Amino acid sequence: MRNLWLLLIRNAFTLAFIALMAVSLSVLLRNDGAARSSWFRQTGAISFMIDSQRNGWSNYLKLAEQNAKLAEENADLRSRMLSMELVASWEEDTVRHWTVREGMLIKGPDGKPRSPSIATPGRDGGIEAGMGVLSGGAAFGTVEETGEDHCRILTLMHSGTSWSCRIGRNGPVASLGWDGLDMGFLQLRDVPRHVQAARGDSIFTSGYDLRFPADVLMGTVFEVERQSGADFMSVSVVPAADFKAVRHLEFLVHQADSERTVLSSTALQP
Amino acid sequence: MIVLRILLLVSLQAFFLRDVSPLGEWTRPEWTLWALLLIPPKANSFVKLILGFTMGVALDIATGSYGQHMVAGTVLGGFLPSLHRLFAPREGYEISDQPILRDMGSSWLVGLTFCAALTYHLTLMLVTNWYWHLMPGALMPTLTSAAFTTLCCLVLHLMVFAPDRRKSSS
Repeated sequence: MRNLWLLLIRNAFTLAFIALMAVSLSVLLRNDGAARSSWFRQTGAISFMIDSQRNGWSNYLKLAEQNAKLAEENADLRSRMLSMELVASWEEDTVRHWTVREGMLIKGPDGKPRSPSIATPGRDGGIEAGMGVLSGGAAFGTVEETGEDHCRILTLMHSGTSWSCRIGRNGPVASLGWDGLDMGFLQLRDVPRHVQAARGDSIFTSGYDLRFPADVLMGTVFEVERQSGADFMSVSVVPAADFKAVRHLEFLVHQADSERTVLSSTALQP
Repeated sequence: MIVLRILLLVSLQAFFLRDVSPLGEWTRPEWTLWALLLIPPKANSFVKLILGFTMGVALDIATGSYGQHMVAGTVLGGFLPSLHRLFAPREGYEISDQPILRDMGSSWLVGLTFCAALTYHLTLMLVTNWYWHLMPGALMPTLTSAAFTTLCCLVLHLMVFAPDRRKSSS
């Protein structure tokens, strides 16, 4: 404090000069329009320069944060693009004898746990029970029963069914089902706690249920919850097919279906 | 005494000598400066600063110029101690030295008066024009006005402190 006082005393003349100049200039600027406009023009340019410099530094310091955000956004977009490519890329698999028949959905799932869905064609169009059904290249359901012109479809949005699927193309097999609550999410069941799964991972059909070929997209992982003490984790999946807007369907037909059915239902003889 | 002298010269300049400008803007004298230049060199720096400011305020009030003379007077009041140091004789000022021809000599008087007038007129030029592009055109009238102010102050000086007075007084 004493040093400050000594400093003020030592520079008292300069301080008095600055104070009187400030008074004089304020009087002048208050009364002279040209002086005022010139003053604000000069000081405005200086303050703009300081402000832009400060913004430059601030932006530079925020680069790391923005870079991390952009990287996250980039990964999300790449993941979405990959999913879109996968949806659009499924075609008839003539090597493994899978062909497609076009169909039209008449009544879709309405959000109730066990609501049936109706589509055309039926038996006359070559549709049989047990066929897999796609929508836009993504898994939609399976034919449960057929009439002459119509068929009833058991969709993924049916709480009484489960579907064999795989986390990623080479991940473990798990069971996918719907809890009947929210049409936006399916649930993966019986996924061991040690399995690596993260948001954005794709879920494909395993092909084990003989209704779909392997590697048909079913959805993407939305959330993974590992509860302490539990052996299994709960995984929410966003379905790839849009169940609220779907109209066109593809019925999957396997050329050697009868042979597969026979082989899979043959009991082992001792 | 100095304050009275300042007020007297402010009144003279504002009411009687305002139009004494033979060449228009090329010769605009500031008569009041002479009062400020009569402050003794050994006077306190604060006194010079305050009196410069006071002179500016008085001139602004009398001429209705709202701040221009106040700024110029403050600048001159602030620089006057430096000017006195700049023109100081080698052995320094005596306590009894007065800023007149008899005590300080003609070169000191002319040099100090011109430098003070130049400081005052340059400041006035800055606060009158404000924009940089107007300054070059105003520079020559400022220099000639500073020279004319010096001449006027010396004339006043010779009228008030005439050399023959010294002879009569001694």
